Amino acid sequence: MFKEIFLFDLKQNFGKPSTYIFFGIFFLLTLILGLSVAGVFDVATGDSNIIGNSAHAVSGIIVGLNDNILGLVNSVILVAIMATAIQKDYEYNIHPLIYTKPITKEGYFFGRFFSAFLTAVFVFSAQVIGYYVGCLFGMDTPRMGTFTLMNYLQPFLIFSVPNILLLGIIFFSVTTFTRNTLPAYLFCIVLLVVRTVSSNITADIENKTLAAILEPFGSEALNHITRYWTPDDQNTRMIPLQGSLLYNRILWTGIALLITILSYLKFSFTQFLNPVTFFFKRSKTATASQGYAHAPLSALPVATQRFSIKDNWKQLFYLSGFEFVKMTKSTFFIIICALGMAMMFIVAQYIGSMYATETYPVTYQIIESVASIFQLFILILVVFFSGNIIWRDREQKMDELIGSIPVSNTVLFFSKYIALIYVVAVLLAVASITGMLIQVSMSYYHLEPLLYFKAGLRMLVGYTITAGVCMAIQVFSPNKYLGFFLSLLPVLFINIIFELLEWRNNLYIFNSSGPGMAYSDMNGYGHTVKSWLIFKSYWLSIVLLLCLLALMVLPRGKEKGLTARFRLSKSSFRPVHKIALALCILFAISAGGYIHYNTHILNRYVSPKQMEEEQAMFEKTYKRYERTPQLRIVSSYIDVAIQPYKREVQVEGFYYLKNKYNLPIDTLFVDYIGGEKTNYHYNTLQPLREARVIVDDKKSGVKMFVFDQPVLPGDSIRFNFNIYFKPKGFENRGTETEVVYNGTFFNNRVLPSIGYNPDSEISANRAREKYGLPHKPRMAAVDDSVALRDNYISRDADWIRFETVVSTSDDQIALAPGYLIKQWKKAGRNYFHYKMDSPILNFYAYLSARYEIKRDKWNDVNIEIYYHKGHEYNLERMIRSIKKSLEYYTHHFGPYQHRQVRILEFPRYASFAQSFPNTIPYSESVGFIARVDDKDKTKIDVPFYITAHEVAHQWWAHQVIGGNVQGSVLMSETMSQYAALMVMEKEYGYQAMKKFLKYEMDIYLKGRTLEAKKEVPLMLCENQGYIHYNKGSVIMYALKDYLGEEVLNSAVRTYLQKVKFQEPPYTNAIEFVHYLKEATPDSLQYIIHDMFETITIYENYVSDLSYKPTVDGKYKVRLAVGSAKFRSDSLGKNEQVPVADYIDVGVFARQQNNTAQSDPEKVLILQKVRMDKPEKTFEFIVNEKPYSAGIDPYYKLIDRTPDNNTFTFGSKPPKVNIESGRNKK
Amino acid sequence: MVLHISNVSKTYANGLKALSNINLRIEKGMFGLLGPNGAGKSTLMRTIAALQEPDQGSITLGNIDVLKQKTDLRKVLGYLPQDFGFYPKVSAMSLLDHFAVLKGISHKGERKEIVEALLQQTNLYEARKRNVSDYSGGMRQRFGIAQALLGNPQLIIVDEPTAGLDPVERNRFHNLLSEIGEQVIVILSTHIVDDVKNLCRHMVVMNKGTILLEGTPAEAQESVRGRIWRKHIDKSEINEYRSRVQVISSYISEGKIMIHVYAEEAPGTDFIPVEAGLEDVYFSTITKN
Repeated sequence: MFKEIFLFDLKQNFGKPSTYIFFGIFFLLTLILGLSVAGVFDVATGDSNIIGNSAHAVSGIIVGLNDNILGLVNSVILVAIMATAIQKDYEYNIHPLIYTKPITKEGYFFGRFFSAFLTAVFVFSAQVIGYYVGCLFGMDTPRMGTFTLMNYLQPFLIFSVPNILLLGIIFFSVTTFTRNTLPAYLFCIVLLVVRTVSSNITADIENKTLAAILEPFGSEALNHITRYWTPDDQNTRMIPLQGSLLYNRILWTGIALLITILSYLKFSFTQFLNPVTFFFKRSKTATASQGYAHAPLSALPVATQRFSIKDNWKQLFYLSGFEFVKMTKSTFFIIICALGMAMMFIVAQYIGSMYATETYPVTYQIIESVASIFQLFILILVVFFSGNIIWRDREQKMDELIGSIPVSNTVLFFSKYIALIYVVAVLLAVASITGMLIQVSMSYYHLEPLLYFKAGLRMLVGYTITAGVCMAIQVFSPNKYLGFFLSLLPVLFINIIFELLEWRNNLYIFNSSGPGMAYSDMNGYGHTVKSWLIFKSYWLSIVLLLCLLALMVLPRGKEKGLTARFRLSKSSFRPVHKIALALCILFAISAGGYIHYNTHILNRYVSPKQMEEEQAMFEKTYKRYERTPQLRIVSSYIDVAIQPYKREVQVEGFYYLKNKYNLPIDTLFVDYIGGEKTNYHYNTLQPLREARVIVDDKKSGVKMFVFDQPVLPGDSIRFNFNIYFKPKGFENRGTETEVVYNGTFFNNRVLPSIGYNPDSEISANRAREKYGLPHKPRMAAVDDSVALRDNYISRDADWIRFETVVSTSDDQIALAPGYLIKQWKKAGRNYFHYKMDSPILNFYAYLSARYEIKRDKWNDVNIEIYYHKGHEYNLERMIRSIKKSLEYYTHHFGPYQHRQVRILEFPRYASFAQSFPNTIPYSESVGFIARVDDKDKTKIDVPFYITAHEVAHQWWAHQVIGGNVQGSVLMSETMSQYAALMVMEKEYGYQAMKKFLKYEMDIYLKGRTLEAKKEVPLMLCENQGYIHYNKGSVIMYALKDYLGEEVLNSAVRTYLQKVKFQEPPYTNAIEFVHYLKEATPDSLQYIIHDMFETITIYENYVSDLSYKPTVDGKYKVRLAVGSAKFRSDSLGKNEQVPVADYIDVGVFARQQNNTAQSDPEKVLILQKVRMDKPEKTFEFIVNEKPYSAGIDPYYKLIDRTPDNNTFTFGSKPPKVNIESGRNKK
Repeated sequence: MVLHISNVSKTYANGLKALSNINLRIEKGMFGLLGPNGAGKSTLMRTIAALQEPDQGSITLGNIDVLKQKTDLRKVLGYLPQDFGFYPKVSAMSLLDHFAVLKGISHKGERKEIVEALLQQTNLYEARKRNVSDYSGGMRQRFGIAQALLGNPQLIIVDEPTAGLDPVERNRFHNLLSEIGEQVIVILSTHIVDDVKNLCRHMVVMNKGTILLEGTPAEAQESVRGRIWRKHIDKSEINEYRSRVQVISSYISEGKIMIHVYAEEAPGTDFIPVEAGLEDVYFSTITKN
């Protein structure tokens, strides 16, 4: 019986076109992904160590396609395939025919279920097949490895099949028991919530394992077990079905099977006729009252019918209201609202977390990070409702009644459109109110309803466009469900595909907004409001055009087919309609034309590929001048006039250029920002010495002179320049955010520089190959004597004298490095004259904004914070950090070279803080809105830490600067990290360090998995953040632990005092590490080699632990630990080396009053032991009842599995597999 | 006001000829459109209601060109389709009010008055607060008529309104229709002969898209007077009779089959003449072709 039903149904499913349409959708999507990975598209190329056809890559694709809104598409397709396997019998009303046949329950139930399941497996296999076919096009290129079928099959079996089973049975059961597909669709949305929430929760490091097991689709588990996979691991390993992934798959497949069995047991043919209802009340049939007396018809009152234009408007708004009420009263709407609100609250808990420190829930954060979730819901709702309202009259058989009524197509269509806009507006209002409730619930009372309103209005306009296009599509579509998919084309799929193809012209990216600029508390929406309006009018007119076309085929009556419908509706295609159509076309063309004029004629539209070609061209033309000796800047005097509200800047300045070589110099190579339609106009670039111009290449931004009389060694010349910055119109994408209404911030990158600029070259080697350029190292070798003649901040200067006058509008303060020596007002503008009293690096910036100022003093150093009004939260904290930093650094490293420290807030277009000489621009999104919980000792005080880091740069960068070679960031970034860590440790204690270092280790281990070129040891670091910041922190903290703070500080102090303010050749990491070696005892020399000269990774783990009470009331602890040590190559391939190292072991008790205020655990034993064997067992006697124990409990050593360093007593540590490179957990 | 239909033809995309060269002149009063399922009645009615476009021909109502001035037609049209539904969870009162707005009755007071009066008229007033989707079949049809009557229509089209109604409800419905028929043009399509017999002043019989017979019910009955015969036969004999004479209908009666036959003269000795009813007219017309 099973076989017959199964085969019959299977044949039916495979006879349906929809099966192949779904297959085709997946196939095409993944084919394009595969082709893009294979490098088939003609786009800009980046470097990567990752191949596209590894098991890890395929898993990534499968899991990625199940994320977010694409996951929703998956679910909806699955509902379409599996939900109705039994329900269809009811829908088509043939259940009486089937249920009266002598069929068995198991045959029917499982036959139907498995045929649907098999169909679904077939459809979803398209995701893997499409990707496979796409990948084939990259065969024998470095982008692909050897093709192995298992690499595709295994992820499909691990992820796709169990997920289909799980979701399939849920959809199948829910639909079968409620006899309605709506609950299944609602469940799809619940799943979306689960997906979003689980990925948000795992942002917090502590919950990762649990989240990995609990997330139903295995994506968190995959991330979790492969999170530290190096490029080599990713390319060569299969996905191991073990640890959290195994538990996850067992758990959810088990749940799926359980649901299957329960559904089977619950299912009975009779039950099916009485559906389970949860949202839907069964209706009672009304009966007629019997009496029948009525007045003659002629007695009916007279009602006038009016058809004036005014009445049409009345009708329109009446109908909109009617439709609106219908939609908002629907279960779907109410559930979406409730889910959206719930989700906003959940996600808000994890808002903006950085090092587990939350930010204040400022309005723009709520709008962006929290409301974006709601937005997804709104999108779903718009797509869903636009289908429903267009098809409802037909579905509910009202079409003929409505069709014969004297109401125009225009009123019918636009009333629905307006109603949908109302619905979106209500949702946005709900989201805004929820947002404010969230703020209040987090005790944040600076509510900005007006900002919510503005943001809501912008979104509403966007959704109006989306809704219009979805509705027009539904009118043209022959079927509602096809309409849903067609709606997703412009809304979702096309944008994904265009992005892969680098088709970025906003004229054809649906609902584009033009150049984007994040909202900033300082600068509001800034200068993109106008271009945004133009883009939106462009799309709105196109959408209206589509709607007007749709009106001409609006279904009225029973006609099928577009031509028949057009014939029926064409009589309403009257002059007004024609004029409206013409106006829309005219408007779309003129808005489009205006956009084109701005983006392509006033500005230049360059694809990344074109950009690459130009870079190649530049290199080929000018590379030969790279090592031509050039004069060096020794002094800058610059007059800058900022017009913030016009977004214009005028610069008039001069350098003194000096010949620091032993030979005369006769050429001057000036490099500036070139380009055809650039905003930067370099009017004057002129040395004050007789010279002729030999190259004047405005496109590349190069001007070269040959002096009539060469500049002799030691001689200087003056070089004048005049620059005018003025943006014209607006760009296609991105906009200049350096000069804005409030919060201008630019640095000397915009000023002319001297000499060839290798930073303009293509850095990706794959791209270089395309243009016949040789491979290029990311940085010069650590001992490259030529490169050591430049420091890594600037190629054309060593230490310079600096003076500047900067002016701005009368309500703003303009700032630049240096001391304010004069300030005045002239012609309604504010002027500031700054001057440096000591030489600085050629690195300075200008800022202008409406600032508030907070001042303080440490000894004779002035402390000033220039901040945006309203951002007072952490000013005291920053000042305290500056003071503590100055204290620590002057004591341990040497005197501070300046008399002031200033922090200057700038808008969040960039989110960093950057140290210029005695001046620290600091983004509003970094630290200014951080919310620090002083009571929780395990949380990191982010503003305090960032400030300490930036202040440290005044020593480590602005006193010591390494050459332009590998490893020089060690003496700037890594040392600033170390310095900040020490200031933090003094302030917050070593417990606070533990979590911080664990984060740093986590970021390092994750960072190396994304390495696109090669990982290098710390002392050869090539400006790789995950190495010089994150690994650097861990290593310097460990080094301090091994050597002692005093020993280490005295070594670095000696080094700093020797090399500070040195002229070329500059110091390098070899010299720095040499000082460290000197300070290290012989027994520990290996740590220098491990930490700085090689990539060394440990696997430290507990293999067993237990304790026994002793007779004298103490406890005897037995702790077996293991340690393995590896050297890693640049791709993360490990080679085991013998271990004979000093490593911490510790035993901890639980703190009695275990509250967040205190340290969570108490140290009973913490000592260094020598691990000279792979595994060792230790015994300790402790005074208190032990709670946990382990090896390297504070994560001082780089450990590929930090999680297994400590365990609690009573738990059984899993066996660690050293060989496979990964432990079983 | 007179409805003129001339030379109207319609062929569906699948080749089905739904209407072929229909010519009709319909005046005030009840007009019956009789025909079996699939005869083209609904197509004709939709075409008159401007819900479908004929391939050729013209339709005028008074001086309204139906095919060109669809909106003008709709202003004076009341239409009750054969198969219709209502929005769920909307009460009769508000749904009728909704239709009234759509029909252009924009004055709120007038609207309330007419809506209540029509609900009274169709005896739905007590049930006005209930959802129309929960109404019984008869109530739904009466509600359908109520909405068709909104806005003082000159032409009312009702497509098989009594199908599935119990006799009491059907009777009520007839009363309502006949009263309406005194004022305006009412086109009633049905396959139930009695409906036409009771209600209509004029009628046509349609089959396969063509008009087979036109006239008053009495004229029609007259046309077959003395030509209908009946006989009891065995089940096994039916095919034989079918091949020999024009059997217009057959009923099971007391285990045997009673056949009615159309013939100018008695087809055989044991045939008994029958007093022709409208039903016989109908069956004889549609079996002729």
